[in-house]
Amino acid sequence: MARILPGEDLLIRMQRDLKRSLAADRSSIKWSMIIDLAKCAGCHACTIGCVAENKLPPGVVYRPVIEEEVGIYPNVRRRFLPRPCMHCQNPPCTKVCPVHATYQNEQGVVVIDYNRCIGCRYCLVACPYSARTSDFGEWYTSDTPNPEGKMVGRAKASESYEAIPATEYGKQWPRRAHDSPVGNARKCHFCLHRVAVGMLPACVTTCVGRATFFGNRNDTQSLISELLGSPRIHRLKEELGTKPSVYYLR
Amino acid sequence: MKSKYFNIMAIIAVLGLIIGCFGMTDRLIYGHLHTGYGSYMPWGLWVVFYLFFVGLTAGAFLITIMTYVFGVTRLKNVGTLSAFTVLVALMCELIFVSLDLGHFERIYRFIVTPNFSSLMTWFVIFTNLMLIIYLLECFFLIREKLVLWSTENRSGKAFYQLLALGKTEYTADDRDSDHRIVRLLSIISLPAGLLFYGTNGAFFAILQNRPIWNSAMTPLLFILAALLSGGALITFLISVFHSDDEIARVLGRAVFFILVVFLLLEFIQFFVGYKTGLTSIMTSLDMIVNGPYSWTFWVVHLLVGSLIPLFLFATGINSPKAITWACLLIVVTFVSVRFNFLIPDLAVYKLEGLEQTFSHPRLRTHYTPSVNEWLVSVWIISLGILVFISGIRWLPILSSEKGGLNNG
Repeated sequence: MARILPGEDLLIRMQRDLKRSLAADRSSIKWSMIIDLAKCAGCHACTIGCVAENKLPPGVVYRPVIEEEVGIYPNVRRRFLPRPCMHCQNPPCTKVCPVHATYQNEQGVVVIDYNRCIGCRYCLVACPYSARTSDFGEWYTSDTPNPEGKMVGRAKASESYEAIPATEYGKQWPRRAHDSPVGNARKCHFCLHRVAVGMLPACVTTCVGRATFFGNRNDTQSLISELLGSPRIHRLKEELGTKPSVYYLR
Repeated sequence: MKSKYFNIMAIIAVLGLIIGCFGMTDRLIYGHLHTGYGSYMPWGLWVVFYLFFVGLTAGAFLITIMTYVFGVTRLKNVGTLSAFTVLVALMCELIFVSLDLGHFERIYRFIVTPNFSSLMTWFVIFTNLMLIIYLLECFFLIREKLVLWSTENRSGKAFYQLLALGKTEYTADDRDSDHRIVRLLSIISLPAGLLFYGTNGAFFAILQNRPIWNSAMTPLLFILAALLSGGALITFLISVFHSDDEIARVLGRAVFFILVVFLLLEFIQFFVGYKTGLTSIMTSLDMIVNGPYSWTFWVVHLLVGSLIPLFLFATGINSPKAITWACLLIVVTFVSVRFNFLIPDLAVYKLEGLEQTFSHPRLRTHYTPSVNEWLVSVWIISLGILVFISGIRWLPILSSEKGGLNNG
């Protein structure tokens, strides 16, 4: 287990690691995530935190938690596998994008340029982890009645959540008709807009079991760097050679 | 083309356009909101039809191969019809694929920021190359008659003058020059066509996470599938519009041969797939033979689209009527081949348990095309039919002095 100060919350340690990395040479940063499957309680707080942070519409999900039942009664268990974008170091999705709309940024995060994406969905088909979803322009409140003069109608209800612009990639993305990100491929981006200002990704801070770790794997002092040395470490579908930046602890 | 048949076809096409208008309006206003596919099944009916029309363009390619590679010079007479068929099929294909894009207004991105490591970029390049080749081929094949018609006192004279680019005289030198250009274009179309169909196959074959597609055989199957459906279409059209029994027989034999080879390759694909014992491959294959749409494989493709045509070919290889029917059945049912290529490999979850994590219609792998998808498809196909019969009627596509207009 990682060396931490007695009583110190892991979030504090990761926060400190994050700020140290941002203060140093940013070109050496390679963001990574580690998810401890033994600690994941399957509460889905990360999923909800991500949806709320990125104002995700219906049918768009960046970080589902896959639930699986294993064993034979009476020896049965449930196990949980949170599945963000793997931010592969050898990503199959960026190679198939015909217009360079999705690419790896300097910090190893696979990002999407919403204003460049043509919405062909080839990257969705190419991703071995089904980590990409397409925004088909749906609204949670589309079937909500909108009676004039009544308490809360569609317009008012949407104001409190989905009419608020998403702030992905440090820009404002108001949800309007055909405008991006409607019609685009969307995916987890390690909450780069938060990271840029020294905040941990939403899924990390909302994880009640402290099962999700985030940091710069090139920073040898960081918690994530220490955890990468664990014999429990593994990656999904390693045989495909995609080299994910998201690791799991068995 | 007889006026009676033209009118019937035109009425069907216009009706299709009117009905399909509802779908097109919905697509243009609401985008992909009312479509049946989602994020785990990212492509649907429009991509199936795009693949279908890619195949139909191969008719002219087959004519080119037979004329310039195998030396069947008699087929030169049907060059114009086949080139025009390619143009219409490419038009339909491009409309289908454009409407499938989430942001088709950004198509210019293919020029501004192309990614040459993506096979979709190469697909766009080769599609445009084919479009240019066959547009030019079509033009040089009909130029002589366009010039002639533009000087005659006939209705639409100004239109023909425009198409003839203002040329009023057509000399023997022009004829020789046009023949040379057509021959050159046909020769260029051979490698271009192979690359075009091969790229379409490779487009799917390179995806390592798709067990059936990810095979070196996929591009080869694509080329064969294209030759089969395109060859069957052109044979059918020649039988109907040219009434040239000899050409129909030659092409019929070629289609028969390609059908047998195609079925053999398909059998090998299943045999090898099942013999590997890999769950991912077997699950996808099971979706084809035992999934919710297995009837499209057994009944539509194998029975109606393969066995009956095989029987017709075997028993009536010299009968133009049998050949016409066999080819029609192959063409019409070929949509099911494309459907069974595309959907089953998408309809298998890549991570076990993913289907239970987040409940939403867009996050399922079960796919049923929506009414909107069907309406848009009807609109595009109707447009294709209307353009095709209009071309046959008002352009010198057929080797008739009246340019196809035969008031019989």
